[in-house]
Amino acid sequence: MAEIRIENATKRFGDFVAVDKANLVIADKEFVVLLGPSGCGKTTLLRAVAGLGMADEGRITIGGRDVTYLPPRERKIAMVFQSYAIFPHMKVRDNIAFGLKMASVDPREIDKRVNNAAGLMHIEKLLDRYPSNMSGGQRQRVAVARAIAMQSEVLLMDEPLSNLDALLRLEMRAELKQLLAGIGATTIYVTHDQIEALSMGDRIAVMKDGLIQQVDHPTVVYDLPSNLFVGSFIGNPPMNFMRGQVQQNGALKVKIGDFELEPAERMKPLLKKYDGQQVILGIRAENMETLNHPVADGVKVQVRVVEPLGSQNLLTVKIGEDIIKVSTHPTFNVAPNNDVWLRFPADKIRWIDRDSEQVLYP
Amino acid sequence: MQKKKRNLAPYWLILPSLLYLALFFAYPMARGLALSVWDDEAVLPLRTEADLASAEVGRMHQGTQVEILGQQGNLLADTLGDETNLLTELWFNVSGQDVDGAEVSGWVPETRIRVREEADDGTPLQGTVRRRLGSNADPLTTVFAEPNENSAEMGKLEASAEVQITAVATLEVWYQVRGEEAGQTIEGWAPSRFIQVFGDEVNGRIDRGTAGEFTWGFFERMFNDRFFGPAVRTTLLLMVLIIPTQFVLAIIMALVIQARLKFNSIFLYIFAIPLGVSDLAVGILFFSIFTQNGLFNSVLQGLGLIDAARPYLTADTRGWIIAAIWLAEVWRATSIVMVIVVSGLQAISDEVLEAAELFGAGLWQRLRYIILPLLKPSLQVALILRTILALQVFAVVIALSGGDVVTVLANETYRQYFEFRNANVASAYALFILVISMVSAVFYLRAVRTQQEIAS
Amino acid sequence: MSQSGIETAVSPDVLAIQQKHLRRQKLNRASTYVIAILISLWILIPIFFIFSMAFTTQEAVRAYPKSILPFIPFSLDTMRFFLNSEGIVPGLINSVIVAVITLLLSTIIAAPAGYAISRYIFPGRNFFRLSILAVRAFPIVVLSIPLAVLFIQAGIFDSIYSLALMHTALALPTTILVIGSVFASIPYELEEAAMVFGCTPWQAFRHVVLPLVLPGIAASAVFTFVLSWNEVFAASILTLQNRTLPAQILFSLSNSSEAYQFAGGFFMLIPALIFMFFIRRYLFNMWGQVTK
Repeated sequence: MAEIRIENATKRFGDFVAVDKANLVIADKEFVVLLGPSGCGKTTLLRAVAGLGMADEGRITIGGRDVTYLPPRERKIAMVFQSYAIFPHMKVRDNIAFGLKMASVDPREIDKRVNNAAGLMHIEKLLDRYPSNMSGGQRQRVAVARAIAMQSEVLLMDEPLSNLDALLRLEMRAELKQLLAGIGATTIYVTHDQIEALSMGDRIAVMKDGLIQQVDHPTVVYDLPSNLFVGSFIGNPPMNFMRGQVQQNGALKVKIGDFELEPAERMKPLLKKYDGQQVILGIRAENMETLNHPVADGVKVQVRVVEPLGSQNLLTVKIGEDIIKVSTHPTFNVAPNNDVWLRFPADKIRWIDRDSEQVLYP
Repeated sequence: MQKKKRNLAPYWLILPSLLYLALFFAYPMARGLALSVWDDEAVLPLRTEADLASAEVGRMHQGTQVEILGQQGNLLADTLGDETNLLTELWFNVSGQDVDGAEVSGWVPETRIRVREEADDGTPLQGTVRRRLGSNADPLTTVFAEPNENSAEMGKLEASAEVQITAVATLEVWYQVRGEEAGQTIEGWAPSRFIQVFGDEVNGRIDRGTAGEFTWGFFERMFNDRFFGPAVRTTLLLMVLIIPTQFVLAIIMALVIQARLKFNSIFLYIFAIPLGVSDLAVGILFFSIFTQNGLFNSVLQGLGLIDAARPYLTADTRGWIIAAIWLAEVWRATSIVMVIVVSGLQAISDEVLEAAELFGAGLWQRLRYIILPLLKPSLQVALILRTILALQVFAVVIALSGGDVVTVLANETYRQYFEFRNANVASAYALFILVISMVSAVFYLRAVRTQQEIAS
Repeated sequence: MSQSGIETAVSPDVLAIQQKHLRRQKLNRASTYVIAILISLWILIPIFFIFSMAFTTQEAVRAYPKSILPFIPFSLDTMRFFLNSEGIVPGLINSVIVAVITLLLSTIIAAPAGYAISRYIFPGRNFFRLSILAVRAFPIVVLSIPLAVLFIQAGIFDSIYSLALMHTALALPTTILVIGSVFASIPYELEEAAMVFGCTPWQAFRHVVLPLVLPGIAASAVFTFVLSWNEVFAASILTLQNRTLPAQILFSLSNSSEAYQFAGGFFMLIPALIFMFFIRRYLFNMWGQVTK
């Protein structure tokens, strides 16, 4: 059992608060991704768990054991570093065996585990080479093999794929996901790549400015972002945001430019409080219906840019004062300056408070 | 709750070097400063009696003319055994029968006893009292309670009386002197080793003092030194000759290294060799070339340009000596500039240079508008370092000129210390070099900064 | 222009320009080689000349004009004469002792400081670095005189050990900066990785950092050796009887034969010739530091 509990963890560098009272519970054998832009504190939080930069306040436990101020070697963890941190003066074999040797594991057992880990990462042929002439991908495999050879219950990964080129990253992503599912360690995985996070994690913890914004399953984080930042950070293209004016002339409507939109029934009581004020509407590009003929409940917009992306056509349109992106079927035939009509399914719209930037939940 | 302590590790790690530099760098530097402005032997205190414990009557400066009024011995402290210029007298502790036949023991000056028997190591054991010469001299010899003529009388010995010698005391001679200090006549006692007595045995001067005093005297002596002017001029001339040549050559060498030729590693090795060669070895190297039967003359003669060997390193050919020193220093110290320039060049990205080339800049234009401006910080450092090193040129000059015909500041420091045994004036020279170093460093820092300001 | 012109790759004009460009590149390359070789000759010829003088007879050293061919006649005579001269062999031994003590002492004292400035950010770090730079820029001459006076007062004057203390003070700043840059070239992540995989900080240092920095530290030590071996001024000021080789040669320069001088010059060159070969790779590491 290796549940990781992070309670009120705070880390400061001088006056700068890198992690601000972070709370996160990672269940045994769970794969949690820490996601956020650079400088958001995700690596700092990971390092606090690893013991490489102890938390100033709060508590971190691993498997019920308080490790907050333990040195890294006593935390029974394995880690993959962003720049791999392969020891350049040791052969690959000795790199993978390093942690086991430090733990005085029986040499035959070390041999077995090294070969096993190398086999899993397909680097058996590199075992007797030095890392100096290896490619980034090969080093990356050595780094992962070194971590899994430890058979720790906790595996920490700090942007392990960020130094690989795009194609290799895609390949490694799938391989790593399969591998990690197989070994069943409690894993914290840090990345700034939202697609990586969506595709790999059991849950995603989105961070910004040292604060954890939202922790949930990838689909929930994608569909129901808790705030404007999460919506804008996750997804490609990011969630669209439009300003709308709430008006109650009999029925409650929201005006976007000239267009009047009727919110979902369950949102109406909430939106009533915003009568006469602006709210922000968030909607994903693929959740809008695009038509090339007028409809009663659709808004007419002019297409500015058409980007054919193969699996979809991405249109850039202006609605009210806001520019948004709309995804259409690749067969949808439209040219710049054409008019199209958009329909917003009421249940796909997220309503956001303009001041707090938090999503409103009924 | 655990509170993290401030990490003291780095301070422990730098502590040994800090202590070492404090002990062997900062402290000597402070002493060096003191040496050049503090005269340890400036004043000699005079005492009421021939005794260090007695009161001070006044002080006299080194070099003051004095009249010797009298002299007296005083028991010598053991610690003075190694002092130079010690003037001493010996006293014997004797025992024998006095004029009245009673047993007497006490001290008499060594001059009153003829030693008759000595131990194997030369210690006197037994002797007889000398006869006093002269008609009206007291025929008897007084025995004193202590080795001091002012002490109590114990008795008197007859001439030729036999005595046992039980102990020997060494006394330092003190002089009673009179002289004028600041318009006042002072009279007092001082140990003889601080006073130089002239041939007439009546007049003398204060040779050195025991108390220190602040003085500009050493700097004055340095400025008035006949070698000072030539040394400054030659040092500056060499700096002006050496540094520009060096920088041009170093930049060329650095560009060659950066061109990554086929045998780059070998070229780098060759270019770096002078970095490890001492200035003395370089001096000898160029001496072997410019000496009368050296390489230079041999080649000229071989080419038929001269008929007989010509001298280059003599007092009549100062120009040639300077040229030889110039070449030797360029040979030796260009490598260090090259290394710094290469380090600076490595920091300039190839893309910047390629961009410049793309926009049509030729080699010279790239050098002028891209490389040199970007190298400015490196060049600045190299310039400071080179100026400081150029001020220390020493062994090359000795090897090529013997240190007389052409002289430089470092050489004068050495000469003052070694030939004239004057650490104070040597320190003044050393500080003078330090001041020029610092002034030029500040000058370079300023000069480069203002250029940057103009650019921005 | 016709369409065929586009299809047949390059027009004669373009080809000519291309060739001209290639020719120019080749010419540039060739002239760079010429410059490299000229500079090499400028450095090597004096060394070669003194080398050939050191390995010939004393008559040949005195001869004029000198033979164009080197080592004629080849003989160990000059060398033997030099080595048999008074004070040379003891000077040689002294020089080696002083240089070895200097390199050991300065490396041992400087290594922790180098580690500290490359691995820790601490209040006073910049001040420490700047003072180190300033110390290095101080003239040797300035330090020698007061140290000599101090050593005389402390009764350790004219001793090779006190000279080694002085040389250590001279070498220390450079050694600290060089070792600092050597440590800085080892990513801290490696140490962290070692600690995550079960090392104490000391084990991480021993198993990971030490093996990686040893070559660089060795290069710095070699450089310190050469620095001490070459140092003339302080050695002449601080010693009388126990002279090092350069001090001995300097002292007897004015009343010695040319054979003695040339052989001595050659002897002092040897360490430079050998050691520079091994540490040339590290030179930029050492001196690049000063510009940062």
